[in-house]
Amino acid sequence: MSVTDDPEEATLLERIQDDPGPAMRWLAGALLLFALEAGAVVNFVTGLFGPGMELPTLLSRELIPNNGFQTPAGVWKETFLGLSPAVAWGIRVALVYVYAIVCTWWLWRGYLVFREHYRYADWTPRDDMIDRLRGHRWGQFGAVIVFAFVIMAMFAPALGPTTVERTIQDPYSYTVDYYDENGELANVTVGQANLGARSQGTPDQNVGVMQYDEYGRFHPFGTLPSGKDMFTFMAAGARVSLFIGLLSIGLSGFIAASFALLTAYYKGLVDLAVVITGDSIMSLPRLLFVMLLSVVLADTWIAGIYSGGLLLALIFAATGWPILWRAVRGPAFQIAEQEWIDAAKSFGQKPRITMQKHMAPYILGYLLVYSSMSLGGIIIGVAGLSFLGLGVSAPTPEWGRAIDIGQSYVTTTSWHISFIPGILIVLVVTAFNALGDGIRDAIDPQSEGGEGEGSEAVAAGGGGA
Amino acid sequence: MARTDATATRGESEPLLSIENLQTAFFTDKEVIRAVDGVSFDIERGETVGVVGESGSGKSVTARSIMGLVDSPGRVLEGSSIRFDGEELTDKSEKEYRSIRGGDIAMVFQDPLTSLNPVYTVGNQIKESLRLHQDMRGAEATEEAIDLLEAVGIPDAARRVNEYPHEFSGGMRQRAVIAMALACDPELLICDEPTTALDVTIQAQILELLDDIQEERDLAIMFITHDMGVIAEISDRVNVMYAGEIVETAPVEELFANPRHPYTEGLLNSIPGNQPGADRLETIEGDVPTPNEPATYCRFEPRCPKAFEECTRVHPEPVAVTDGADDHTAACLLYPEDVSEAEAVELHERRGDGEEVTDR
Amino acid sequence: MSRWQYFGKRLLLSVPVLVFGASITFLVIRAGPLDPVSAIIGPQGDPQAYNRIREQLGLNEPLWRQYIDYMVDLFTFQLGESWVVQPERDVYSLLASYAPRTIWLGFWSVLIAVFIGIPLGFYAGLNPNTFSDYLASFGGIVWRAMPNFWLAVILMSVLSQSQSLFGFSWQNWLYETNVTGPPPLPGDLVTLLTSPDHFFPALKKIAPAAIVLGSASMGNEMRIGRTAVLETVNSNFIETAKAKGVPPRSLVWKHIFRNALIPLVPIITGEAFLLIGGSVLVETVFNISGIGYLFFQGIQNGDMPLVGSLMFVFILLVVVINIVQDLLYTIIDPRVGYDGGA
Repeated sequence: MSVTDDPEEATLLERIQDDPGPAMRWLAGALLLFALEAGAVVNFVTGLFGPGMELPTLLSRELIPNNGFQTPAGVWKETFLGLSPAVAWGIRVALVYVYAIVCTWWLWRGYLVFREHYRYADWTPRDDMIDRLRGHRWGQFGAVIVFAFVIMAMFAPALGPTTVERTIQDPYSYTVDYYDENGELANVTVGQANLGARSQGTPDQNVGVMQYDEYGRFHPFGTLPSGKDMFTFMAAGARVSLFIGLLSIGLSGFIAASFALLTAYYKGLVDLAVVITGDSIMSLPRLLFVMLLSVVLADTWIAGIYSGGLLLALIFAATGWPILWRAVRGPAFQIAEQEWIDAAKSFGQKPRITMQKHMAPYILGYLLVYSSMSLGGIIIGVAGLSFLGLGVSAPTPEWGRAIDIGQSYVTTTSWHISFIPGILIVLVVTAFNALGDGIRDAIDPQSEGGEGEGSEAVAAGGGGA
Repeated sequence: MARTDATATRGESEPLLSIENLQTAFFTDKEVIRAVDGVSFDIERGETVGVVGESGSGKSVTARSIMGLVDSPGRVLEGSSIRFDGEELTDKSEKEYRSIRGGDIAMVFQDPLTSLNPVYTVGNQIKESLRLHQDMRGAEATEEAIDLLEAVGIPDAARRVNEYPHEFSGGMRQRAVIAMALACDPELLICDEPTTALDVTIQAQILELLDDIQEERDLAIMFITHDMGVIAEISDRVNVMYAGEIVETAPVEELFANPRHPYTEGLLNSIPGNQPGADRLETIEGDVPTPNEPATYCRFEPRCPKAFEECTRVHPEPVAVTDGADDHTAACLLYPEDVSEAEAVELHERRGDGEEVTDR
Repeated sequence: MSRWQYFGKRLLLSVPVLVFGASITFLVIRAGPLDPVSAIIGPQGDPQAYNRIREQLGLNEPLWRQYIDYMVDLFTFQLGESWVVQPERDVYSLLASYAPRTIWLGFWSVLIAVFIGIPLGFYAGLNPNTFSDYLASFGGIVWRAMPNFWLAVILMSVLSQSQSLFGFSWQNWLYETNVTGPPPLPGDLVTLLTSPDHFFPALKKIAPAAIVLGSASMGNEMRIGRTAVLETVNSNFIETAKAKGVPPRSLVWKHIFRNALIPLVPIITGEAFLLIGGSVLVETVFNISGIGYLFFQGIQNGDMPLVGSLMFVFILLVVVINIVQDLLYTIIDPRVGYDGGA
């Protein structure tokens, strides 16, 4: 039976021991889902130390290959079940998303199991917030698109019609089989195939959206002027953008939150110092400064990581924390005025504990809101820098660079090169803003939006580049 | 109708404000909310009529209906009559209504801090009123504004007239709002919970101020509140509202001495201090309902300690509580109390159907 | 504290901000890993020239000495000269030729953003939940997410090909201009403002770029303006005004707008910052030789003296805009400084 008599005292583990049934069932499902993709995780981890270990996984391209060739008789070989590459690719993409949705749903179920069986409280304010989120159409739209974007970034190697190594990084080390005009099985390096598949703006030199090239390869987004597959480029670029965005927001959010708590708790001189520092950083024209820093630091070792991605993330974080800090400063000050903070101080509670336990949970919601809104701005900023050639350098793909590459072809048949990255950026940034709106309405339904200097600063900075 | 007769016998002059069967409803996608459902009362010149009730009883909507400030999705329904100084207000166009608002009927709201526009000086806002209704401008208007501020007891009015609302304290602000309302010498002042947001000492000052002003200017006041103590202090007559209807009307001393409607009794009993020696505070169990359907029954019945079977079937109309007590009416099937229960119920039924009834 | 005291306090606070910003720039440029001299000389420089230039740039002094010289120079507005982009040319003369184009661009962008965005926002706020409100709001949201350089690329290409795409030539419409290239600005302001032959071609030339830059901010202003109006309309003092019998026209213009304008002030000034950064991208695409473009060239070529001075100019601009914002606040909102300023 239970170790203690008072249910409030029992820890989570003890509560699970009391009633293991639902937890075990959920755990079984989770393990099963994980096992399907365990191979990818193992591959990733071992890949950090050397060549990755290959295990059978559900969503790998080995299981559902889409790179094959078509015999003159019209039969596809080496693709999944002999289907055309387009369909095979479509199946794999659908499978990836289905898997992701199932995993997410399973996690949601786990939360429900926890709430019903193992949580002490029958109801917490968080339940209300989640309920509000469920009815919020605009926020849900944002969440869906953001989810699709994150999955695209996470599963990039499995999603593209080919891999980054084959088509972008090392095209001359791989080969592709195809039936040439004479009906013979020929074999050519991917690099040469790319040369033949270039999109150069004229109708005979173009591989557009959802088209096959001469070598039997399927290109959902067409090809770049260098002949490389654009979908692979975009998926890998999504990874970079997400990485930079998340890292910089995470860092600047942490700094902003810490400063907000410190200044709200201590006020006075600490506040003044942070205000001056923050205002000074905010007064530097952000994009220009990022440009300057990225050029100045271009030869350092940090710039080598991820083709400048890490450096960019750090620079954005360093220039971005004042904006977030300004945004959460309002709520932090409001919390600091509450009586329970006084009470905690009066019985000698350590400042750090007070800040962590009593103040932090309240500004977390606002931090989330403003973070998701600034994330959009960072994505646009990184794209803008890459457009100029200063951001993420080749060969790592980045959406902004694609726009730059396709500049001269906008009014030709190769309009897809510049157009698609732009549309995707608009979609993703709008989605992040919508998600932020949704979270804000969930945590504070009274506010119609746009109160205080904080949100205006963020809104102003979270938009254009 | 007996009502009109009663009014005629009361005095020669017509009442300043005469409301008959006022119905205001809000039409939302989900439901119809009958915020005011058949309210009738009068206000004579120079008298203070209190309207008391819980939150949600329809008091504020009544006031706004009189002022014509009910916005969509709400509107005043057909069949309502609001007669002010001999004129029917429900017939008026928006433009005509605007000249009455502020000029003949003025309103004071609950929260003085947010009632004043923060970016203009107090003087500017008073002068706006003067310009709208009395066509006063320039130095003359400034003089008048200063006089008004002095009349409401704000010291150093000449300097204050150029200050901003946030530079005033809470009580001063409410005085300034009253000054603004009085700027055009209205005949009726509607006060919607003007002292609720103030602390008790300031509240007393404001009530005293209203008393003085009323005497000086022969001003009629409609005072809305949920605070029985304030009602006792300031009103001449009291209307008790519940769920969009008036359930009892009486002169103030009579109401406190002999409350008739079970709801009024409950209200008075629940004032802390009214039951010395009791162990627990008395409450009226339950919540005020949101009136959606037309009332074919007594809306207070679920919470009423004296309810009986007929209460769910018959809608109580306002009747004199005893024979001849014309100024004390209650909408309860128990009254008139000097007849038998069955007869009383029948009387309410016939009244509700709109037939002529001889005075008993 | 009175409003003007608050303003004075903010004015005072901008000085350390300026100093701090300039110092950071100095750190990045001088103490950073980039070697300005090699950029100037190029890879084949001989050591003698290298040393001589080091001497000229003052790089042989100890760092703190350099710092003081640098700050003194900046604050006495000695901006030095460019060494790589246009060698031997004084920064002031560079500014004089490049800056007017950026100012022309910025002026029209802000105009578009403020005079189209805000009225749209107010209109949406006064008529909420109507179809036009949804349309405008949705448009604003999507526009805000649009990368301005992408829009610039598309607009530029479309306009260049307008003859073949739409059958009507943008280049030849009204006045003859090319799509890209700097706007033809005459030497002095008076000619620009008074002569239509100068004014309109310059306006037409800058129009696409200004639309791109301005529309990005416009979405934001629209959204905030709408919210501001909505909040104001539902506030108590509007009800009081109605109860006083204030006519609707006066209600909207006198009561609602003045209050709704208050939250818009930081937005407008915030957009000005974005213009400073975003102008680089738009100027590059449309080939407008403005100071944003100059800055970009300076960075690309490693012309550190130029970059340092330009950066200071930008920071100064930002600080000035901040001061203007505080000034506007002080004038518009009497409550400023009352509950505590910064």
